[in-house]
Amino acid sequence: MCGVIAPRWRKVLRDIADTPLRTALAVTAMAAGAFGVTMILTSYSVLKRELKTTYSDTRPASAVLVLESPANDVLVDSVRRMPEVRDAESRPVIGGRLFIGNGQWVPLILFVVRDFGDIRLDRFTPDAGAWPPGDGEVLIERSSLSVARAAIGDRVIVRTSDHVERPLRIAGTVHAAGLAPGWMEHAVAGFVKSNPQMAQRNTDKGNLADQIRILVTGDTLDEKHIRDIANRVARSIGHVTRIEVPTPGRHPHAAQMDTFLYLLGAFGVLTFALSAVLVATMIHALLTEQLRQVGVMKTLGASTTQIASLYLGQVAILAAAAIAIGVPLGIAAGQAYARFAASMLNATITNAMPALWIVAAEVAAGIAIPLLVALGPVAHAARISIHEAFSNDVGGKRFGTRGFDRWLARIQWMPRPLMLSLRTTFHRRGRLVLTVATLAAGGAAFIAAMNVSATWTRTLDADGRARRFDIQAVFARPYPAAQVMQALASVPDVVHAECWTEAGATLGDANVSFVGPDVNSKLLALPLIAGRWLRPDDDAVAVINQSVLSLDPTLHLGGDIPINVNAHVGRLRIIGIVKELAPRATVYAPPRAILRATGKPPGLARSVRIVTRQRDASGQVAASKAIEQALENAGISVAGIQALSDSRKSFSDHLVIIKSALIFAALLVVLVGGLGLTSTLTLNVFERTREIGILSAIGATPGTIARDVVFEGMVMAVLSWCAALLVSIPITFALDAATGQMFIRSALDFYMSPIAAAVWLLLVLILAALSSFYPARRSARLAVREAIAYE
Amino acid sequence: MIHLQSLSKTYDTPAGAFPALRNIDLEIAAGEFVAIVGKSGSGKSTLLNMVGGIDRPSSGTLSVGGRSIQGLTHSELASWRGRTVGFVFQFFQLLPTLTVAENVMLPMDFCGVRPRSERRKHAMSLLDRVALADQADKLPSALSGGQQQRVAIARALANDPPVILADEPTGNLDSETSIAIFRLFGELSGEGKTLLVVTHDREAAVSVSRTVTIVDGCVV
Repeated sequence: MCGVIAPRWRKVLRDIADTPLRTALAVTAMAAGAFGVTMILTSYSVLKRELKTTYSDTRPASAVLVLESPANDVLVDSVRRMPEVRDAESRPVIGGRLFIGNGQWVPLILFVVRDFGDIRLDRFTPDAGAWPPGDGEVLIERSSLSVARAAIGDRVIVRTSDHVERPLRIAGTVHAAGLAPGWMEHAVAGFVKSNPQMAQRNTDKGNLADQIRILVTGDTLDEKHIRDIANRVARSIGHVTRIEVPTPGRHPHAAQMDTFLYLLGAFGVLTFALSAVLVATMIHALLTEQLRQVGVMKTLGASTTQIASLYLGQVAILAAAAIAIGVPLGIAAGQAYARFAASMLNATITNAMPALWIVAAEVAAGIAIPLLVALGPVAHAARISIHEAFSNDVGGKRFGTRGFDRWLARIQWMPRPLMLSLRTTFHRRGRLVLTVATLAAGGAAFIAAMNVSATWTRTLDADGRARRFDIQAVFARPYPAAQVMQALASVPDVVHAECWTEAGATLGDANVSFVGPDVNSKLLALPLIAGRWLRPDDDAVAVINQSVLSLDPTLHLGGDIPINVNAHVGRLRIIGIVKELAPRATVYAPPRAILRATGKPPGLARSVRIVTRQRDASGQVAASKAIEQALENAGISVAGIQALSDSRKSFSDHLVIIKSALIFAALLVVLVGGLGLTSTLTLNVFERTREIGILSAIGATPGTIARDVVFEGMVMAVLSWCAALLVSIPITFALDAATGQMFIRSALDFYMSPIAAAVWLLLVLILAALSSFYPARRSARLAVREAIAYE
Repeated sequence: MIHLQSLSKTYDTPAGAFPALRNIDLEIAAGEFVAIVGKSGSGKSTLLNMVGGIDRPSSGTLSVGGRSIQGLTHSELASWRGRTVGFVFQFFQLLPTLTVAENVMLPMDFCGVRPRSERRKHAMSLLDRVALADQADKLPSALSGGQQQRVAIARALANDPPVILADEPTGNLDSETSIAIFRLFGELSGEGKTLLVVTHDREAAVSVSRTVTIVDGCVV
């Protein structure tokens, strides 16, 4: 038995086995780090792959050609036969609303499918219930079933915007991964069978859009290439009113996914840094208590290399144990989180296994990082002279040799035991720095996550405050503004109403909203990034939002914007740039400028913005019912009516996934940081067992000792909190800028949440108190002789 | 065997330079059993540390077994120490997680002096010599102080070094055990080992061949 393993390696194994608590603490801390990194890496890699394949599996159309009249099979076949078209499908779209009871309607979009057995583009798959739907039946996209407040088998009333109402039976649900989740959009998407009756009764062109979807040959990710082909196809088939080219390869919620994945990645890096510091702290603690034995081994002839290899071996064994625990748990948790996140984005995870190379990298990093981190402290310990190893003040100068120590020694007003704690804290500077660094890394990540989350909430609030109307109603066609105002005058809930001028326009190839608020309007006060807002006497000028700027980065304040309305390009001078939460590109201009561009007479309104008496959510909903009724009574056909609280809710639902990433990161950091804090402080107290024995010998009660050790933990906690606040500033700044840029095309305003700071302070103090109290009490209860003899 | 010439050691302290050893000239022949005595802080342990290569002199020359050790690197020094010097400490300094036999095998392991298969046998013979062969597989914590110190001596002999250095080896032991330890040292000296022992224990130290007294860092 003895010849097999050399005594020095047996020492390593027994050091690990004979101090189970310490080993457990070190392994736990390292496993927590491995867990955190693995979890994030797993969910990141699985989601990145699966979100992409889920979307590409739908065979997204490269372009949508909107036609003047229905496309028959002959036409679709002829498009399909074009050499530059890989595939084509006709899929008319009907806009409307769905009745959800209690006088309320939700927006509805119905896709008319010619053949459920031959879906070629923008595919969707059966989810539950019947497939295909029969006449008078609809299949609802699974993520919008809850918005419809209905279940499979229910009959719902659908009203298309030409005011035709018809009942439809929900035959089942489908999964259309290419559509934005319905619960986020607060809209229902449905699929119905094509039938002549449906087409006939939807003759209003604003309502039914006949479309041909095409998939091009060649590079399907090249937008210009797609546009060229779409234009050629349009010229060839004629009567195409509009060509829509969705950003190639991008899911409608790709910005959300990007932001979300970016956050996962960023916190992956932060967790990685945290775990590396944690490992360094653990190794420092392990080595500190071994210094005397290093001295002994050196007197027995051990070389620096031999000693270093012993401790690196020990670190490798602990790291292997940590990986064995942390990596499988991290993979399982990462998969669970990936499933959750995918469900939020209406994607399905078909393969939850992270790529093999990722698992291999996790394992390799799990061993390599601790070894790398350990190299410095191990080299230091292995090179230490025997003389130093045997003296008590290892690894630093004696207390009192530095200016700070002497300053500390002049603090006399504190109770003596507390002074001792304070001086001990600052004496072991290496230990202090590492412990504080561990806690600060965790704290900074936590605070940054909470800050960014709070910043999003504030951005949402600020955007809400900028829109001072409560309800926005859109009509099926233009009506005289006077007629609208007269109808509204009869509604007691209405305090104020404004009809704005609006038109659809394009900037280059992209669609933009062209909005002319009432010249005296006080209902819109969007935050300005540059320039100024519109004035009543303005004429050929425009204020653009940041999304317009991202469409054409050459636009600038004082320059002209070429805006295309009905194939006529007009130029407006940009006098202001505003920030809006909604990612829709909008150009604001004086109403007269818009009327000039559209050539329409003044006094017609397509929508109205209303301020209600009761401004809360329920007041807005109640008023919207009364308003709709009044408008209908006046013969005004309402295509949609939306309470601002509802659109705000929809936007905040778009943020759910981002907030979930932030909360997930914060919780993970609390877990990893909490475990790290607990084990670090516990080991700190172990290190002080001998000192505690001496204190007991000179009359300190276990209570006093426990109090002082807890105080020391608290001092470290507060120091770490200060460091965390400082470190969180650049992290928050970077995350605000990056996530804002990805999601709303503009950096968010930097904000430090006092709540985040307070929560972390509380958390770190509680953890510090708990994790020092128990080991301190244990040490204080050791017999004095035992404590002094402690090695 | 041990040759010190004009050896000095000065420590830099916050209170200024502290001369621990001043101009020591000392010659110790092979097989001598020398006790170093003196008050606390007189420089006894510093002198021992210099001879064992634990600490480096500030000035002067020092050679052990005809070899000057001042120019050696850390690694060379470690290897030299393992083969040339056996240490015995006041607090035994056995590694707590290794058994008695393993503690004795450890220096052989570090210096690779014997084939691996023979190390245990050699350790057992050394333990037999200090009458502890029956305790070979126990952990140090199961042994009395005197037994632990005998293990430490067996360990010091593991690589058969010509020089044994002991710093207050009986400082933590009762007088009867102390006498037994010194008797063992005497036997080793009789076998040709050179022994340098720092001690306060005049009663036990009767068997030494020479006593060197140090006062304030100087040999008197």
